[in-house]
Amino acid sequence: MKVAVCKGFWDMLPLNLAVLPWGILCGSLAVQNGFTPLEAQLMSLLVFAGSAQLVAIELIAKDTTLITLLATTFIISARHLLYGLAIRNKMIDKPLKWRGPIAFFLTDELFAFSHHHRAYQGKLRLVYALIAGGSFYVAWNLWTLIGIVAGQFLPDLTNLGLDFAIAAIFIALVVPSINALPVLCACLTSAVTILVFKLIHFEFGLIASALLGMSVGYVLQSKKERV
Amino acid sequence: MITTILAMACVTFATRYLFLAKQLPFTIGPKLQRFLSFSAPCVLTAIWVPIVFIQDKQLAITPSNPYLVAATVAVILAFRFKNLYVTTFGSLAVFYLLY
Repeated sequence: MKVAVCKGFWDMLPLNLAVLPWGILCGSLAVQNGFTPLEAQLMSLLVFAGSAQLVAIELIAKDTTLITLLATTFIISARHLLYGLAIRNKMIDKPLKWRGPIAFFLTDELFAFSHHHRAYQGKLRLVYALIAGGSFYVAWNLWTLIGIVAGQFLPDLTNLGLDFAIAAIFIALVVPSINALPVLCACLTSAVTILVFKLIHFEFGLIASALLGMSVGYVLQSKKERV
Repeated sequence: MITTILAMACVTFATRYLFLAKQLPFTIGPKLQRFLSFSAPCVLTAIWVPIVFIQDKQLAITPSNPYLVAATVAVILAFRFKNLYVTTFGSLAVFYLLY
């Protein structure tokens, strides 16, 4: 048990630290745009979605209609549908006391640690996921709080290059999982298509490039198993 | 404002919980599961690649892009050591030498 708790904590720690500038930004930007400190904190406590929060703060400040705001939130969050689907088989037989919190903590960051074929199998792996996801939640809210309290005294930390740390961590998680041609081609497809989608500002680019890469992987894997 | 925040929270939680709900009666067959087995590598790739390759909204495939050089180091370290901390801190060191 202690091993699962420690591993969850230490695995997520680099990401917890790497998102510090964006957590602070979420807090300080909210307060600057007329949120009360409580409302700013509630965004991180309840919505708990970095990119959606940042976009929403700007939309709310511009007095966008609620329906536009929610539609935008949905577009940014749509990738989580894929995460839920991907871990459904592993999670669906678990009681709500596990599924509820894990779903709530199911960020990009937690999903990054969900790829192992035995992830979420057995109590220890569930505890691991809960600690990893939960520690990210605590860190995100702590950084938001710092942004709310001290944002006006802090320089913009998002240009310190910590986005590279996030990229490095994801590389560290992806590359070892590339153990065969289908998954290599799947990743290369996603890599090329996301760059195209980003450059043409296609809003569903992330999910579209993921689905395209997955399709390539699926086709190649199916061919491989037939011969 | 609180209502707006609650409504947003419903949207983000719904996208995360929907396919983990038992009320949604469907099972994922072996074919869909095979398709989904590529989701994590593909999504993570689609998140890190733009951070590295796009600078100031433009493609930056040049040796003067510190993100690209350090990411190359990260890929090599990850391939060689398969260790989260070695890859992260090794490539981060290279990144800040160049940044």
